[in-house]
Amino acid sequence: MESVSLLVVDAITFGRTVVGLLTRPYETYRRITKHGRLGEVLFITILAAAYFALASLIKVAAFRPFLLTEQFLLLIVGAASGVLLSVGSLCVAGLLLGGSPAWNKLMIAWVYTLIPTTVWFLSTSMLYVVLPPPRTTSTAGIAFSLLFLVFSSALLWWKITLAYLTLRFALKLDLVRNIVVALACAPILAGWSIGMYKLGIFKVPFL
Amino acid sequence: MSDATYQKFVKRWEEVTELPPQTLGPLTGIYKQFARRLKVMPWPWFIGVSFLVAVAFYIVFGSAIATLVTILQRGF
Repeated sequence: MESVSLLVVDAITFGRTVVGLLTRPYETYRRITKHGRLGEVLFITILAAAYFALASLIKVAAFRPFLLTEQFLLLIVGAASGVLLSVGSLCVAGLLLGGSPAWNKLMIAWVYTLIPTTVWFLSTSMLYVVLPPPRTTSTAGIAFSLLFLVFSSALLWWKITLAYLTLRFALKLDLVRNIVVALACAPILAGWSIGMYKLGIFKVPFL
Repeated sequence: MSDATYQKFVKRWEEVTELPPQTLGPLTGIYKQFARRLKVMPWPWFIGVSFLVAVAFYIVFGSAIATLVTILQRGF
């Protein structure tokens, strides 16, 4: 019974946090790094799993349970490796630059940055079904392309803002040292992205 | 002020002042202006800047943005 209550509390907190990330990201991130609980990560995992299930169906394009499960597991392992690598490299870089990261707070804060990522991947996969590419150079095609670029770019700004707030609150570093941490981690994450592309798991990095 | 309210205020004050304010020398004012807009309801800024980025892409690359979007749409 107690675990059910905890789950309900985490679900409500998660909902409040998502609204906060949309309307008051700075204040919300301060709360996440102060009072965030690892249980909240479960709900982002469920959201990501919904995307992985949909992406597996679209990529395999057949009801073949073995292939679907294989694709689903590949996506989960790929995304989990990305999260662990990101948190690990940020933690080490933060420590080297004099920050005081607590890995669990950093993990919760970083996992929340996956919300814009998951929203983009989920909506792009749905759009792939509704309006499959290629886009044409007709007026409608260009208009859709512009809209898609605005949508993708807005989510990217949101992601960058949340990633910066993760570094600011979880590592407790100033802007210049945050930029150094990001630059130090970029080659590692670029290497991971190339690896995922070559393995055919993610064409656009799920970070 | 009652004790409970005072304690709540102290707790909140400690939370807010835990991180030292960000300074960037002569650029501090610009940084503060920029950061203030992103702290509460940043979406008008995100969408505004994204619109400008998309238009800039169209001006620079023309109808080739359709190819870029095709690649992105296949990128999930």
